[in-house]
Amino acid sequence: MNEFLESIGYGQWILHALVVLPLLGAIPVLLGPPSSAKWTALVVTTVELLLSVGLWWALEPGVGTLQLVSSSPWIPGWGISYRVGIDGISLVMVLLTTAMMPLSVLGSWRYITKQERGFYALMLALLTGLVGVFIALDLFVFYIFFEVMLIPMYFIIGIWGGANRLYAAIKFFIYTMAGSLLMLVAIVALVWRIQAATGTISFSYETVLRHAGAAGPLAPWLFAAFAVAFAIKVPIFPFHTWLPDAHVEAPTAGSVLLAAIMLKIGTYGFLRFAVPFFPDVAMSPAVSRIVVVLAVIGVIYGALVAMVQPDIKKLVAYSSVSHLGFVMLGIWGGTIQSVQGSLMVMISHGISTGALFLLIGMIYERRHTRLIADYGGIARVVPVFSLIFTVVTLSSIGLPGLNGFIGEFLVLLGSFTAYPVATVIATTGVIFAAGYLLWALQRMIYSRLDNPENERLTDLNGRELAIMVPLLIGIVWLGLYPAPVLRRMEPAAQRYLQLTQPPQAVTPVAVTGSAPEVRP
Amino acid sequence: MNQIDLGTPMGIAVALLPEILLSAWSLVVLLVVSWRHETAEDSRLAGWLALAGLLLSGAGLAALWVARVTPDGLAQMVALDPFRYGASAVALLAGAGTVLISLGYMEREGLLAPEYYPLVLLATAGMMFLAGAEDLIVLFLGLEVMSVAVYILAGYSRADPFSSEAALKYFLIGAFASGFLHYGIALENGTTVTTNIALIGAQLAARPIQLMDALGLGLLLIGMGFKISAVPFHMWAPDVYDGSPTPVTGLMATGVKAAAFAALVRVLMEAFPSAIGVWQPIVAGLAVASMVAANLIALAQRSLKRMLAYSSIAHAGYMLVSVWAGTQAGAGSVLFYLLAYSLTTLASFGFLTALGRGGERDVTYDDIAGLAAERPVVAFGLSVCMLSLLGFPGTIGFIGKWYILTAVVAEGQMILPVILVLTSVVSAGSYLPVMMAMYMRPSPSPQRHAGVVLSPTATAGIALSVAAVLLLGFWPGDLLELAGQSARTLTQTALPLAGP
Repeated sequence: MNEFLESIGYGQWILHALVVLPLLGAIPVLLGPPSSAKWTALVVTTVELLLSVGLWWALEPGVGTLQLVSSSPWIPGWGISYRVGIDGISLVMVLLTTAMMPLSVLGSWRYITKQERGFYALMLALLTGLVGVFIALDLFVFYIFFEVMLIPMYFIIGIWGGANRLYAAIKFFIYTMAGSLLMLVAIVALVWRIQAATGTISFSYETVLRHAGAAGPLAPWLFAAFAVAFAIKVPIFPFHTWLPDAHVEAPTAGSVLLAAIMLKIGTYGFLRFAVPFFPDVAMSPAVSRIVVVLAVIGVIYGALVAMVQPDIKKLVAYSSVSHLGFVMLGIWGGTIQSVQGSLMVMISHGISTGALFLLIGMIYERRHTRLIADYGGIARVVPVFSLIFTVVTLSSIGLPGLNGFIGEFLVLLGSFTAYPVATVIATTGVIFAAGYLLWALQRMIYSRLDNPENERLTDLNGRELAIMVPLLIGIVWLGLYPAPVLRRMEPAAQRYLQLTQPPQAVTPVAVTGSAPEVRP
Repeated sequence: MNQIDLGTPMGIAVALLPEILLSAWSLVVLLVVSWRHETAEDSRLAGWLALAGLLLSGAGLAALWVARVTPDGLAQMVALDPFRYGASAVALLAGAGTVLISLGYMEREGLLAPEYYPLVLLATAGMMFLAGAEDLIVLFLGLEVMSVAVYILAGYSRADPFSSEAALKYFLIGAFASGFLHYGIALENGTTVTTNIALIGAQLAARPIQLMDALGLGLLLIGMGFKISAVPFHMWAPDVYDGSPTPVTGLMATGVKAAAFAALVRVLMEAFPSAIGVWQPIVAGLAVASMVAANLIALAQRSLKRMLAYSSIAHAGYMLVSVWAGTQAGAGSVLFYLLAYSLTTLASFGFLTALGRGGERDVTYDDIAGLAAERPVVAFGLSVCMLSLLGFPGTIGFIGKWYILTAVVAEGQMILPVILVLTSVVSAGSYLPVMMAMYMRPSPSPQRHAGVVLSPTATAGIALSVAAVLLLGFWPGDLLELAGQSARTLTQTALPLAGP
């Protein structure tokens, strides 16, 4: 495989191609007839997925630094260049993105009936933004992808969403924008401090990382600005209030992408930018305590609120708040297990919650209700749907053997030494998750079939099975044999730990830079 | 580097080439329309002639710019630096955009008196004098030439009482503001015995700032504050913007504001660099008041024209933030932002002319519901404008805001940038509903937007603006360099004189 990739110069063009291809694909979607829009989008997203798979081999294993880096000047006067590259963390996020995209397109097949061209063009634009966010290595470029991505999602929620879509769309937009604009000020200020210290202006990720110590007394403020931007995106309690609205009102594909990918941009931002730039601030006892407490509140609060939701989509939305709390706990856990666990939760949550939203979309298309009370006992009517729904639910709960387990287990294991009390409390979140999800499962699928409307439900068709089977394979594969994925991510996770351990503060230059040197 | 002596008639004629060309041409157009002022045909002719005049003046400006003319010794009366050229270019652009939008608009609204176009030219010439003034007297004259022309333009829709109200209000407030400005000039002249901006700077640098200097500076700031419509001197702006014919509103929001800002920057940076401690807090206060008040009030507007009026006040606040910096980067960012803001705002008002009739005062958010389904191109263009006003990446508005942030953060100031971005978030509450109405709300009735038509000239002007907004949003590099360099001379001219 490696020889083949090298023979076509894969490493040189792949990252650019992944960004450009969806945008180019949006043109035939817009110009073609409305009936072919979804086919074109499916082809483009599938090609994107196939192209991106090669990254798995193109990435040198065992190396924690950024790879496939390429850079071309953009606004030279301001030290801005179009700079992209990946490491193990971005690799899995990019693959998750490109994998979820064709499934989301398939999941919208029947759901989207008006203005199809616009919808699929926006989906492709969103794909560009999502891939761009994960590969950008210039703060300016990252900021642009981070912001621009809002527009397609804003329209996807606002045009194709549910009854309360206008409110949800503007709330989503304004929340995210408020955070990101503060981050913009922080980026400008950080680069200005570095310019003052080093004499050169550069927004390149590595340069900023190497010299982030120049922030000096501003560091707590700058960290706060970055942290708020990402905390809104994750979302961490108490910044989560946009999430239930946006998830519930968005069309199926919007919910899938929001949950599976866009929330991860927040945690990815912490791992890539906020914490490594300001390790002294981020890992200081006060800040750690705040983050860990908020993360645990998120775990418990999300679970408790999910429990009382009458709407299954809202229940899953709140469960995201709970799961992302684990990720935040792991990021601050400070051990290789906790960080790896966080990354695993990010992937598993993407797959499981994405699958749940897709399943909810499928049943909604048939029954036009999302209230748990309207269902009941449908296992006899739609056995295949019920089986898949059960497996996905169990994976979301964290049943050993399925993908959800490994991540949460590693987070709890890895964080216990640093935060024993918080970890014990967070563990109860797993129990709550079993509570709300199994309860919902029981009420929807397995109790008595007492509503005659449900007797007419039809089971999953071929297209829907084609969506679910890859997800199920992922769920089982990651549950039984996560080692390859963990191995890919490990060097990057190690490097994150090196960057953020407290002694780092004494020798800020030691472990950064392009060479993979390791601090003794 | 071509040196010219501004003391000789020839020298001053060369230095004022663009202004002289434009003023003379406007008289020619006036002469033409005094014979031909009956039909729509005549009005169109005047419009095209005006456009030709603006191009001619632009050519003169380019010649000056390319020739890198510098004054031999002291710059008397007019500045010869890229900052003036940049600001003049924005003024010419605003004038040209206004003419392009007006060509179809005046005919549609039955405002056929072709004297309109010479007045636009005179107003533009006034803006250029204002932007290039190196002497407070020239500054005052430029301001008056510009203002008198715009007073008339504001009331051009004679049958419309709101237009007349706008003209009267603008005139009264404008006269009031001129009074402040005049008094400020008098006080400065009293303490420094000169009206030359650079000489005032040299004098003030050589001695401590006295009460009279500060008082004069304050009065100048008040006078300018009215023209740039900064809070609390903005009270006239919503009504005047609202009542004036829409292309004139566009001219007021862009050209008038740009020229006044250029003059403000020059006065503060060349005449009062040593009094920076006096004016920085005032400018910061005006900036914060403008950003906060205008963006909050804009949220409550239902009429698009009025929302855009408040938006223009808010943008004055953003630009005041970069004026606050008092540096080359600050001045460069003002210049760049003026261009970004003018392109976007002109296009927005251009779209507005298509959406309504009879002054467009009553076009509300509800009236554009479902526009995207019937007029996708108009909806797309207006969305781009709204995103640019919001400062969204991918548009020139974002680059402008980024430049402002860079300039201000480099002075170690963090509070103003934070207020700037937070008020930008607030402004999303007035810009996003425009897009929301167009794309996400259903049209109240089929064929509701059949009347949304742009004249070919307006289409051309708006299309060029929107294209520039997008292209410069992605490739701003060269223009940023230019803006940054343009401002360099501002700080340099004052310094050698200030030395001894």
